[in-house]
Amino acid sequence: MNKWLSTLVIVLALVGLIVGAKVFLAHKKVEIDWQMARAKGNPQAHVKIVEFIDFQCPACAYGINFLKTFIDKHPQDVYLQVRYFPLTNMHRHAMISALYSECAARQGKFWALDDLMIPQQQQWAQLISPEPIFRAMAQQAGINLDQLDTCLASDSARKVINDEKSLGQSLGINSTPTYFINNKMVVGVKSLQDELKNYFPGS
Amino acid sequence: MLYVFIRVMIGSIFLVSGVGKLISPYQNFLYVIQAYQVLPSWGEVLTAQIFPWIELIVGVFVFLGLWTSWSVRAALVLFGIFVVVVGQALIRHLPLESCGCFGGWIHFKPQTVIVLDSISLLLTFLLLRSLVLTKKFSLDSYFD
Repeated sequence: MNKWLSTLVIVLALVGLIVGAKVFLAHKKVEIDWQMARAKGNPQAHVKIVEFIDFQCPACAYGINFLKTFIDKHPQDVYLQVRYFPLTNMHRHAMISALYSECAARQGKFWALDDLMIPQQQQWAQLISPEPIFRAMAQQAGINLDQLDTCLASDSARKVINDEKSLGQSLGINSTPTYFINNKMVVGVKSLQDELKNYFPGS
Repeated sequence: MLYVFIRVMIGSIFLVSGVGKLISPYQNFLYVIQAYQVLPSWGEVLTAQIFPWIELIVGVFVFLGLWTSWSVRAALVLFGIFVVVVGQALIRHLPLESCGCFGGWIHFKPQTVIVLDSISLLLTFLLLRSLVLTKKFSLDSYFD
């Protein structure tokens, strides 16, 4: 076999292996969970967004603020669900912030806590332990602290977070924020904004 | 043997990097490229879809020692691009948490990456300077 032919065979084999791997690892579609407390907007909206975030991720904070404003402008046209994807190998408070959020969601206070946690992200991200500040936020959001403590001590909240992260990984997510807009995956706020322009050309 | 070891190592870096990006949705690498704020939007999408294939092919060719003088030159150019792109991001203080170099497999801070890329650039230059030694135990030596 001559060198050119060998080169062609190697390149074709590489392409075949990668295409085969992608087919084998073909990622699932994300299902909307209609019972979820971590949702806002109109469930009948023609634009449904599922967002996977890490609460310590600065880009996620920017995305949350962008989407809040966007949904306020288009309240009937967008439905948003938030799922957990803590990047625990990069953000030391990723899991604890998700736990507080999940426990707040169980009292119907997910967005109330989110409205306090996100604007102060830069402050608590630098702390060795953010729990005192999270407890203060929880109190301010009207969360029952006894129920919060019970939730934090249980395994069920952590299981929900880990299950959603596993789901995210099976969907091919490896960074945040990742959005599924009517099941189309986009990563980062810039791509989110570009994709939303397809649905809302004037925005 | 040292040059063969370096060649295999450099090839492996690109191989792992390319595979890591190719088996995950291209949107992940697109996000990485956007963070460096170097290209226009259409360039970002094109790069996100094509660049991992270039890395994979260069990686395999360098690893196997196939078209060695060209594949090592290509590796040199790629490391040069990485140093420039990461360097400009550091100079501009862009908010990069991870370089995104290996898809989602390994996370390196940009400050670490620029050091590693610079060392890799020098090692690749060494390979190019001593191609006879680099080509030992290579497919090129089998065909030549």
